[in-house]
Amino acid sequence: MSELYQALAQGLLIGSSYGLLALGMGLVYGVSGVVNFSHGDFISLGMFMCLALYSALSLDPYVSVIITVPVMTAIGALVYLFLIRPMVGHQFLMVVQLTLGLSLVLQNGILMVFGGQPARTPSVVESKLLLLGDVVLRVPHLIAFAVSFVLAGGLYVMLRSTDFGRSIRAVHQNAHAAALMGIDVGRVQVMTFALGIGILALAATLLLPGTPIQPTQGLRYTVITLLVVVLGGMTNFVGIMLGGLVIGIAEAFGTIYLEGPLGLLMPYLIFVLIMLFRPQGLTWSSSR
Amino acid sequence: MRGEFYKTLSSPIWWGVLAVAATLPFMLSSYYLHILTLSLVYVALASSWNIVGGMAGQISLAHSLFIGIGAMLSSAMLLKLGINMWLGLLISALISGALGVAIAWIDFRFQLGHLSFVLITLAFAEMGSIIVEGWDFLGGASGLLLPKDTGNFLAFQFGGGDGAFWMMLALAAICVLVNVAILNSPLGYYLRTIRDNEKAAQAIGVDILRYKITAMAISAVLASVVGTAYVRYLTFADPYLLISPVITIEIVLFATVGGLGRAYGPALGALLLVPLGEVLRGKLGSTLPGLHYFIYGIVVIGVILVTPRGLLPLFEGLWRRWREAR
Repeated sequence: MSELYQALAQGLLIGSSYGLLALGMGLVYGVSGVVNFSHGDFISLGMFMCLALYSALSLDPYVSVIITVPVMTAIGALVYLFLIRPMVGHQFLMVVQLTLGLSLVLQNGILMVFGGQPARTPSVVESKLLLLGDVVLRVPHLIAFAVSFVLAGGLYVMLRSTDFGRSIRAVHQNAHAAALMGIDVGRVQVMTFALGIGILALAATLLLPGTPIQPTQGLRYTVITLLVVVLGGMTNFVGIMLGGLVIGIAEAFGTIYLEGPLGLLMPYLIFVLIMLFRPQGLTWSSSR
Repeated sequence: MRGEFYKTLSSPIWWGVLAVAATLPFMLSSYYLHILTLSLVYVALASSWNIVGGMAGQISLAHSLFIGIGAMLSSAMLLKLGINMWLGLLISALISGALGVAIAWIDFRFQLGHLSFVLITLAFAEMGSIIVEGWDFLGGASGLLLPKDTGNFLAFQFGGGDGAFWMMLALAAICVLVNVAILNSPLGYYLRTIRDNEKAAQAIGVDILRYKITAMAISAVLASVVGTAYVRYLTFADPYLLISPVITIEIVLFATVGGLGRAYGPALGALLLVPLGEVLRGKLGSTLPGLHYFIYGIVVIGVILVTPRGLLPLFEGLWRRWREAR
């Protein structure tokens, strides 16, 4: 029984960060219809920036956020302005190829700077544990869980009740009408993309302690993020957080209860089944 | 319509280029011959992907499965069961074709949009690589080492270097010819109709399921056969190379750079980018690993921004303007 609780707890904690990873992609998709296949490589970029800051200034990853979030946000804005915006109006699928190309650039840029050896970024809380009965919880996971939900809540409030949030939702619902109402659609799209990448910098820090990182990991994170976004119904905010938890739990159960490769396959199997039988995602609301 | 294909088949330029290419092993050092052989592998792969990805406009990321089955399964059958690699090639190609049909059927049955198709095929590709890496019969994570190539044609051996080059040249030529044939056949027109407007195609009575399945089956079988020949050339069946989604991404990018949906576009992309990447890797690979992929990425982004339809249409446009100016 304790194994079950352990899997459940671990899955929930990891899943919350997956949800956070996916929120950025969902926001961007909702506003500009762009699916960013270099998403995971931006996570890598965030993680390796933390590593660099640790090696240079021995900053703890949780402190590096002060630097990585603004830098990544700026990078996101530049990428949208110079790479993705020129593609708007062209065939949608070209953006897929463009971001795949960007993924190669990021992944191998990191490889050239940091080399291919798996690396770790130490943190003060890295090895701290919390015992709840039989269940062992790692403190970094707890921090990730708390921060993810606080941040998701903050984003939710931002979307509901600030002008910027309202303009994001307006563009999402009907970009044409939003433009007619005087919303600068282009500006909203740039800012959402920048925000999405900025969130990734935070998520990268949350996932970092205790996780070995290497430049080639990006594609895996992209795939996980895609799984979560699709499970959540692409743009549904609550759905995406839920999707993150489902994937996290599926992964935890898979690795604990099933042997070897079968366990790793679990999230993908769930993804394919949901994609086929509930393409609108997990939540039951009728709004798109 | 078919006239164009027979014109290509009887064109002296086509055969002339092939004949000149076939004499290259006598002129090049083994290092440059190796680079050319690799380029031909990617010409063949990108051209086979083009049938689905370019003509039908469906960005399939599942092609690593077909390449991987062609490479890993035929090697495993040879090493573990003693099955002749020619037979292995055939069995793998049939399985790949069946898998391709299944994927096309799922796409049709569940009415996947373009984006969902990309995602589902990527999920299939990831699952494929996880299965191969965890299954000892297929070599697991450490891969399979094939016996030395002694040039025994009956055992699917071509004597390394020169022989492998000729084999790849033939395969690449076949893949490009299949592209020419399909583009100029009713199938090619149907595929392009489906790409441009699937609903309209359905409304005027195009049997979408049939053509999607045909395209996917042809593409999968070709990719699988090339996979088998590629692994024989490498003599090492490396799962991280042959059944990783990265190989599909490379192919997609080569095809995009050259010109999607064109008969010679993907070939052009592979012929330009693979030698560039390999030379860079040879010169700087030890000091700057990953530089060649980095450059691929930059080239792809640049080409997409400057000429989204690829380099081939760009070159054609320049050529036409140059001729008119004269």
